This record gives sequence, C-alpha cells and structure tokens, in this order.
Amino acid sequence: MTEIRIAGLRKSFGGQPALVDVALDAAPGEMVTLLGPSGCGKTTTLRCVAGFLAPDGGDILVDGRSILDVPLRRRDFGVVFQNYALFPHMTAAENVAYGLRVRRIAAGEIARRVAASLEEVGLTGYGDRLPRTLSGGQQQRVALARALVIHPRLLLLDEPLANLDAQLRQEMRALIRAVQRRQGITAFYVTHDQAEAMASSDRVAVMERGRVAQFATPREIYQRPVSRYVAAFTGEASALAVTIRALGVPGRYTVALDDAQLEVSGAPGLRPGHRHFLMVRPQAVSFGASGLEGVVRDVAFFGATQQGEVALGDQRLRFVTDPNERVVAGETVHVRLDPAHAWLMPEAVA
Amino acid sequence: MRLTLRLGGGFVLALIYGFILLPLVVVFASSLTAGELMQFPPQGLSLRWFARFFADQALMQALGLSLQVAAITTVIVTVIGTMAALAHRALNGWSKRWLRTGLLLPLLLPELLTSIGLLFFLYRIGLGKTLVGLQIAHAVVTLPFAFVSIVAALDQLDPALEDASNSLGASAWDTFRRVVLPLVRGGIVTGALFAFVTSFDMFTVSFLLKPIGGNTLPLALFDYLSYDYDPTAAAAAAVSVLLAIAGVVVIEKLVGLRNL
Repeated sequence: MTEIRIAGLRKSFGGQPALVDVALDAAPGEMVTLLGPSGCGKTTTLRCVAGFLAPDGGDILVDGRSILDVPLRRRDFGVVFQNYALFPHMTAAENVAYGLRVRRIAAGEIARRVAASLEEVGLTGYGDRLPRTLSGGQQQRVALARALVIHPRLLLLDEPLANLDAQLRQEMRALIRAVQRRQGITAFYVTHDQAEAMASSDRVAVMERGRVAQFATPREIYQRPVSRYVAAFTGEASALAVTIRALGVPGRYTVALDDAQLEVSGAPGLRPGHRHFLMVRPQAVSFGASGLEGVVRDVAFFGATQQGEVALGDQRLRFVTDPNERVVAGETVHVRLDPAHAWLMPEAVA
Repeated sequence: MRLTLRLGGGFVLALIYGFILLPLVVVFASSLTAGELMQFPPQGLSLRWFARFFADQALMQALGLSLQVAAITTVIVTVIGTMAALAHRALNGWSKRWLRTGLLLPLLLPELLTSIGLLFFLYRIGLGKTLVGLQIAHAVVTLPFAFVSIVAALDQLDPALEDASNSLGASAWDTFRRVVLPLVRGGIVTGALFAFVTSFDMFTVSFLLKPIGGNTLPLALFDYLSYDYDPTAAAAAAVSVLLAIAGVVVIEKLVGLRNL
C-alpha cells in the first residue's frame, strides 16, 4: 500500500509552461483521476510521476520519500499507455512476462505469475497470440496484466480507454477498477472523459492550464464546483451571475438575480455585495405557477427527457424535465431552482 | 482512363527495369561466350572465361581484398551506424541537426573531394597508402548509407515502447537488446547490405587510397580492361553480381526481407 504526495510541481517545454504549480496526493489504495482537456497538464503530471519526464521544480514523495532521484526503472510503477504500447514482436504472455524477465526471476515463477495475471484480466488461453492478432480491448487487457504482474507500488493509467468503443470502455473501466480495488493498488488515472472520471475514482483532480483547479470526491466536484470551468467539465451546467445580498448560516446566502431573491448554498467565506456565479445543473430547474420569470428559448425531445434553454433577462439557463411536461418554445414560464442542484461558486463575476 | 494510367505506369516500370536489368543481362551473356571477344550476343556457350577469371592470380587477390575490406567495413559501419542512429534519436535541436549533417556529408560531397581530403589526412597521420587507411576511408564513405537506413527504421519505432520497457524495470541495455534491436533489425541489415555493396563497388576512393601492392576488384578490373578486352572482365562482373545476389538470398533466409 503506497501513499503519494505531489507538491509544487512545475514543468515548461521550450518556455511554454505546462505545469505551473501542481499539488496532488493519493492515500494508500486510492484511485485518483486527473481530468481535463488536452493541454491542461494531466498527462505531463503523469509522465513526471512515471519518470518519463523530469519536472523543473517541486517534488514527488512516495511513502514520504522523494522519487525524483530514483531512476525510472527502479520506481516499480506499472504504466498503462493510451496506445497500449505492447511489444509487437512478443506474444501476449511474453509481453506480460517482460517485467519479470528483466528482473531475472526464475522461469517457473514467471510462468505461474503470467498465467495468474492473464487469468485476472480474462485472457486465459490467449498467451500465445501476437498483439496484432488481438482486438483493441484484448490488447488493453494484456497491457493491464503486464503493468500489474510486477506488483507495482503505483498504477499509472494514461487515457487507457480512449481508443475503445463505448461498450468496451464500460467493461474495461469496471475491470480496471475491480483489479485496482482487489489488489489495493494506489492509482493515478488520466482522462478527458468526465463520465469515466466520475464513475471510477475515489477523488478527481480537475486540471486547468497547468494547475489543479479543484481536487475532491466526484460528488463534491459535481455538486460544489469552484468555477464555471470545473462545473462545465463535470457535466452540463449553467452559470448565472448573481449578487450576494445577505449571509445566512455559514454556507448559506441570499442572492439577487435581477429583481428576484434566492436562497442558495455556496462556498464559505463569500462577502455581501460581491457578484459571483451561481452554478445550476439542468435538473435543478422546474416550472410552476410562481418563480423567476423567463422565456423558453428552445426545447428538444430526447426520449427519456426533454431539454432546452430558458432566457432569464439576458442570462441563459439550461433545463431538463420530464418528457411529458408541457414546455413550448417562445412561451413565458416561471422557473424554480432546487437548491440541492445549485451552488454559489467562489468564482467572481469579472 | 484508369486503364490508360495503368498501361502507362506499366510501360514506365518496364522501361526502368529494362534500363537496370538489360546491362546485367548483356554482361552475363557475354561472359558466357565461347569466343575471344567480349561481345553481345555471345558466340557459343562456355564457362572458359570464368575459369580464366578464377585462375588469374591478380584478379583473385583483388577479389579477396575487396571481400575482406567490404566485410570489415560492414562490421565497423553497422556498429557505428547503429550507435550514431541511437544518439541521433536521443538528441534534440541543433545538436541533432549537426550530427546528421556531419554524418551525411560524405554522401553530399563528390567522392573525389572526400578521397582527396582523406588522402591528405591519412598521409598526415601516417596511414597513407596502407590497408588500415583504405579501411578507414571505406568506413567513412559508407557510414551514411547505414546511418540513414537505421535512422529510418528507428523513426518507425514508437517511443512509448521504450517508455514501457523502462517502466517495467529494464536497463538501457535490456531495452535495446529485447525491444529496440528486434524491431529495427530490418533497417540495420539493410544498412549493412548497403555498406557492403557500396564498399565492394567503390572505385574513386580505392583508386586514390589503395595500399601499396594491393588492389581491389574494381581497380583490378579497370587495369585489366586497359590492356585486354577479353570476356574475363565480363566474368568478373558476373561474379560480383552473383555475390551480391547471394548476399541478399542469405539475408532473406536469415531475417526475411519482408521484415525490412
């Protein structure tokens, strides 16, 4: 069981900062996901941890000891690559055996561990196949087995599902999570897919331009985002500019949207008179006889739901309702917001 | 339209192959003549000129020297070319460009210029007109062929494979031996083959730098043709071509050309 702590990590490429100041940690057995668009620094962070890149500054501590001076091959981290990176001239079993063979482990034990590892990922009987004769999903299973068979101190996964189709992706996601839990391996998982991040991690770090924008449980990230960026990256969300009128109990605020007043929860420590963004998930929106007055801009039928947009003055609000509810574009409606799906974010209105 | 294109393409291909292969056919054929003169078509069929070639002391010595120089050149150039290509892969920016340009220079400069430069240099370091000097010169001139071929093979190699190998605990040597080498073997063999053939064929460099009392096959043939015009020369040329083909066949058996 390994614990890892990353502090003040910095890295530039040709003067372009890729990591500005990354701080992260993972408790023993925890799965931490680095989520963000391409170029946000998530892969660079992972490559620094793996040892493929040397950071310009900061430190990476594993069980309290810096690993920056530990050469890549001595780190004992299992890495799963986006394109699998299987050795094309070796069979599946030889690929899995590789890490044991270079450790000069006895042939008998290698055979036993390779067989067990292939079984764990559901590939018993495929050991003699060359990678190019395997499907994408099977190749990814070999890559996972190869990374795990060395009993790594840390499992690093770089967009492991990006090249798979939707159904396989779900299957592999479940497999990775099951194996990671069963073996109690601490893991870093890089992805740009929010569903993947939400469903299969203990904590999520949303990254933005070389920084960690927010680092918390999937639930907290989704329900209490710190900014519009985080809110948008974890699902559909509207951001309404509101003014804080009064403080309630800690974390409760009375805010004004145009001339309407709302009671909402929000990040602690915001001050009256300031303008902040109120994050509203589409499912927070319902229509009734009273509430904020708005005009339906657009509505579309999706089968299980209907979704659309309401104009509140010059601001836009996304909504999702029961498909049988009567919502007609162009009509004036009264909007109510469920405070459980709204959150006053620390991000101030510029 | 499509048919015209294909016919046209086929015609061009036939022309190319014709120009490359016809001279070989002519030389082969004239080496098999029973007559006294190198001429096409041959007059009758016999292997007498081959016998004559293999009986000729001077030509045999030259063939031996050519094979020896080409073999040693191949070994030297394959090792240095592989190391240079690996360095080229590891470097970045200006150092990479300078390494490449420097190594390719013998390919860009006229062979005569390189030879004269080497002549001065080898005399200065006391290796003028020696076998070692000739050997060095052959290595310098053939290195770019091996280097280019190995660099091309390495460019095809996914860097993630090396990352994967290193992260799995392999040493640099293990990574090279178990992952890089098997995957670029084709490029290395091609490079070695280029080096061998280029060295075996080399004229200008050998002409200026040949050791005292030593002759390579191209030089010996040149000498021979200055005095005689009998089909022994054609037989010698045919033997060279057969050697090259034999080399390719052996490599095909060893590594399989389809991997190249």
